Amino acid sequence: MNTSTHQDGPRAAPGFLRRLLRSPSGAIGLAIVLLLIFCALFAEMLAPYNPAKMGAGGRFLPPGGDHLLGTDEFGRDLFSRILFGSRITLLIGAVAVGISLTIGMAVGMIAAFRRGWIEAILMRSTDVLFSFTETLIALSFVAVLGPSLQNAVIAVGVAGIPFYARTCYAAALVETSKSYFEASISAGAGPARLVLVHLLPNVLPTMIVVATLGVSTAILAAAGLSFLGLGAQPPTSEWGYMLAGSRDYINRAPWLMTIPGIAIAVTVLGFNLLGDGLRTSLDPVERK
Amino acid sequence: MWRFLGTRIAMGAFTIWITTILVTLLIHAVPGDPVQIMYAQSQGTTPEQIEEVRRSLGLDRSIPVQYLMYMERLLQGDLGATIRGGQPVLEVILQRLPNTLLLACAAMFIAILIGVPIGFLAAYREGTLTDIALMIIAIAGISMPHFWLGLMLLFFFALELGWLPVSGNGWLNLVLPALTLGLSNAAIFARLTRSSMIDVMSQDYVQTAFAKGLPKALVLRRHVLRAGLLPVVTMMGLQFAFMMGGAIVVENIFSWNGVGRMAVEAIFQRDYPLIQGFILTFSVVVVFVAIVIDALYAVLDPRIRRS
Repeated sequence: MNTSTHQDGPRAAPGFLRRLLRSPSGAIGLAIVLLLIFCALFAEMLAPYNPAKMGAGGRFLPPGGDHLLGTDEFGRDLFSRILFGSRITLLIGAVAVGISLTIGMAVGMIAAFRRGWIEAILMRSTDVLFSFTETLIALSFVAVLGPSLQNAVIAVGVAGIPFYARTCYAAALVETSKSYFEASISAGAGPARLVLVHLLPNVLPTMIVVATLGVSTAILAAAGLSFLGLGAQPPTSEWGYMLAGSRDYINRAPWLMTIPGIAIAVTVLGFNLLGDGLRTSLDPVERK
Repeated sequence: MWRFLGTRIAMGAFTIWITTILVTLLIHAVPGDPVQIMYAQSQGTTPEQIEEVRRSLGLDRSIPVQYLMYMERLLQGDLGATIRGGQPVLEVILQRLPNTLLLACAAMFIAILIGVPIGFLAAYREGTLTDIALMIIAIAGISMPHFWLGLMLLFFFALELGWLPVSGNGWLNLVLPALTLGLSNAAIFARLTRSSMIDVMSQDYVQTAFAKGLPKALVLRRHVLRAGLLPVVTMMGLQFAFMMGGAIVVENIFSWNGVGRMAVEAIFQRDYPLIQGFILTFSVVVVFVAIVIDALYAVLDPRIRRS
């Protein structure tokens, strides 16, 4: 490990992808995530049937034949529903993490940069929110706003803010104590330059890893809410909601239970592996 | 040590105080008229009855007055009455809370019993095939939605094999929900234990102990295990909070009669007094457990004990 770690951060970009692909978890994770994005983008072209069309085949047809993954209680094609579900799932992950990340990073960087009483207020409130746990925050939000997919995504996004704020604060605090940062202050750099040019690019690698892993947490949490009936409502082909519906037919059509579950697990695994891979390829300590 | 614990207790009390404020504000954040929404499902409620409810909930007063009224009742152990059935909220919650705590503790026990030895073994064999295989299982376990794991266990052990009952509240009924919640958290414990053990094993004092030619088992028992388990103990508080959150979902799969299942029903029925009571109870339990874990940590870690 060399001593000028912060210098080779942005410049190491081309080598970074190579390192990511060389780690098995990074390569597999990236492949899964790319496949999901592909499915989500081209769902219309890939899906053999309209996901909402009832009676596309007989009811409860087992996987195989005309219906690759079988049909559900309304005769809807499960494969098409899973494909369109990938779009909803990725959107849930992106929006929820987007909310947590932007607000969390703003809070964390402001607290680390301003210090003093602003820091105290921001970080103490973050501590309190953190001890509420994400589940309770998300559940309270849904209780207030009422059950819907949109509200569930907002709830999961807000619930994640304390964690992102804490992580960003810790990363930013490390930067502000480094000598290049102090030198920049002595050289007369204004707050905007300090935050945007020095702080932001240097906390970004950490936050990218956290956000990638966070997509899996957010997808799991939102699917859990939909499973309870507090998120996606019919006839959405959201995977958690589909799983909840499968409970009534568990004996008759077990594939309605196994397949959406596998879809969620593979998606979450993909983001977890990618996050792990990114951590090893972005972290200068593990990089050696 | 007392100072450390004092800070934690003060912080916990502060958190609960903030919760009481948020819980009072919660009902005002509801879009529209909460009383109308609460009674939307029951037909034939007259405007007079609605006004009566509004008065009984204190919603016709200003927010600070409402908060003081709420706190006054709260300090007398009165959390209000449920909208459906009019039972005392505290009674409804206390009836079910033991079930949830039992489930969370059983799951925690399973998670530690499985997760810690796996993590220890993986660290001991760091870099070997055993380590890689165990960690692949762990990351797969973390990625598996616990509601799905629950359904699968239900399908195989209760429906296909018929070994265990599908739902109910006996001891045998506890097995599947506790396994569901425990297994998904075991993976987290395994990963944490592994990284913590590897960290300790690379410390100078452990290397010295090995270099002195002490038997490996002795070094592991005396020097590695205790220090390596400290971060695991710290994590237990947070994990317990996860378990309480996970219990909400798992209770609904197995119809386990705990506060989680009650909370979801309350949300569907828009029973705000019950929701408020649930949020308050949940945060009291989480804060209390966190303090107990901190105390345990302080006892185990001499650096804190002697400070």
